[in-house]
Amino acid sequence: MFEARLAQGALLKKVVEAIKDLIEDANFDCNSSGFSLQAMDSSHVSLVALSLRADGFEHYRCDRNVSMGMKLASLSKILKCANGDDAITMKSEDNGDTITFMFESPEQERLSEFDLKLMDIDSEHLGIPDNEYDATVKLPAAEFQRIVKDLSTIGDTVEISVTKDAVKFGTTGDIGNANIMCRQNKAADKPDESTEIDINEAVSLTFALRYLNSFAKATPLSTHAVLKLSKELPILVEYHIPEVGRLAFYLAPKIEDEDSMRD
Amino acid sequence: MKEQKFENYFGRKIAVDASMHIYAFMVVVGRTGDQTLTDEAGNVTSHLQGMFFRTVKMLESGMKPVFVFDGKAPTLKSDELAKRYSKRQTATTDLETAKETGTKEDVEKYSKRTVRVTREHNAECRRLLQLLGVPIIDAPSEAEAQCASLCSQGLVYGIATEDMDALTFATPRLIRHLMSPAAANKPVTEFEYDQVLAELDLTADQFVDLCILCGCDYTEKIGNIGPFRALQLIKKHGSLEATLAALDPEKYNIPEPFPYKEAKELFLNPEVLKPENIPPMKWTSPDLDGLLEFLVKEKSFNEERVRSAIQRVTAAKSKSNQGRLDSFFGPSKTPPSQAPKRKEAGKVVPPPKKGKLGGFGKKK
Repeated sequence: MFEARLAQGALLKKVVEAIKDLIEDANFDCNSSGFSLQAMDSSHVSLVALSLRADGFEHYRCDRNVSMGMKLASLSKILKCANGDDAITMKSEDNGDTITFMFESPEQERLSEFDLKLMDIDSEHLGIPDNEYDATVKLPAAEFQRIVKDLSTIGDTVEISVTKDAVKFGTTGDIGNANIMCRQNKAADKPDESTEIDINEAVSLTFALRYLNSFAKATPLSTHAVLKLSKELPILVEYHIPEVGRLAFYLAPKIEDEDSMRD
Repeated sequence: MKEQKFENYFGRKIAVDASMHIYAFMVVVGRTGDQTLTDEAGNVTSHLQGMFFRTVKMLESGMKPVFVFDGKAPTLKSDELAKRYSKRQTATTDLETAKETGTKEDVEKYSKRTVRVTREHNAECRRLLQLLGVPIIDAPSEAEAQCASLCSQGLVYGIATEDMDALTFATPRLIRHLMSPAAANKPVTEFEYDQVLAELDLTADQFVDLCILCGCDYTEKIGNIGPFRALQLIKKHGSLEATLAALDPEKYNIPEPFPYKEAKELFLNPEVLKPENIPPMKWTSPDLDGLLEFLVKEKSFNEERVRSAIQRVTAAKSKSNQGRLDSFFGPSKTPPSQAPKRKEAGKVVPPPKKGKLGGFGKKK
């Protein structure tokens, strides 16, 4: 059987809110090391990878590897019924066709249980190469959210250019263009507001803002968003969930040259 | 076998069996009774109408179609072709009678059977496709075989055809209804060769045997054997040879001649272009002036519709440059969790009804 208790249930709520608009349904894979999910959006342009480590849970038990298919919209409905300070316990019997969510209020005076029917989902698991990236930018999550939101009012795509000491976001649209630059800033006194750039090679890539805006819904999970870029490869946008795991998004770039299309 | 949204094929290169679709367009597009779409001079334009709007639809969604035309028909097919020719002759006479005495449905039925794709129709479609900036490949022989080979080499993602024969040529991925008229509103369906084999529990060899037994373009059908019985027989006997030997001649009439060995050879080793002879595939912007000249002036198309269609293609340019994640990350060899699905209740997948699924039926 599978059983996992998360004292800060709000975390699970935030995770589901962050991904539910991007993917319709997904398999949650549970094994002894943790709870994870990998799913692409329906157009196969972006991918969500969530991993919550077993030791991040207050209590974690998984006797047998299971894969539980759930509709994110349904999961979100159920988790909306949990209070922000509730502890959430997930339970499922081996070979069961439901998963139980149990919400406990901090004082234990209120206890609620919701069963969600599991479904069979055909999913393609992608192997993601563990490459080193040309450039890594760590910036405050709220700042990243604001940048992509502001740029979306002007254009559909953003060109992200990283150089040694700054990252530039630029877009062009019918009404004009916009550029936002963030300089490296390792303010020791305010670690939450730091912007750090780690670079092997300058890169510049173009992405659809629609997806980045979706990714930024994960902002409540972490103080920082980490962008990892390599030439002609998908961008990785990571949100580290302190002591529990991470939520990562991959997005395929726009391709300028027609002939360089791969199939 | 899975259903896909038309829109999900953006950025994909798709090989289209052009000859089959031209025929299908001529049968279906804009037809009432024995009247089809024509230009002012009375020449049929159904094929152009269908080809134009369907190709535009593909380009608009960011797909990159490659059209493959039939070359010389294999000699083995000549019997079949002769038969189709005589059927067409019968249909022509039937059509005449139907026009005098029959109902409207009869007129339509017989007139559909008289459809014939001529060299001019093919040439016109080529000209159209070139003006649209879409690459064309000439197959040395069967277009489906060439499509299958393009797909196996990874040059295209899948092939769009309604003719299930393409699977017999071991097409890794066959896509149906991609080019069917929007009005038909059929969901796009993908077939993966490996999965088909796995579901039928057959080897590639046996699958070819099965298809021949069900009736293909190269051999006559054996009476009283449908797809299901054929599958049973192949499973029971293991091969076509053994099945034929075991069949009761009283009950089943094996046609004479039944050149199954030659047919099999054609399916397993079809005549296709060598990889080095495949022309590079390039997609360019549509030539608006050329299209207006050809479609509007020569073929009496509505100028506004042509203009707006081309505008849509140009506007959709940004879709085709969006990369796909699965073209960067391959399918994982070892998924992190080999966990069994919760409900492993065996889904019953009906075997593809070879031949019967032929959609638009026989071509040429």
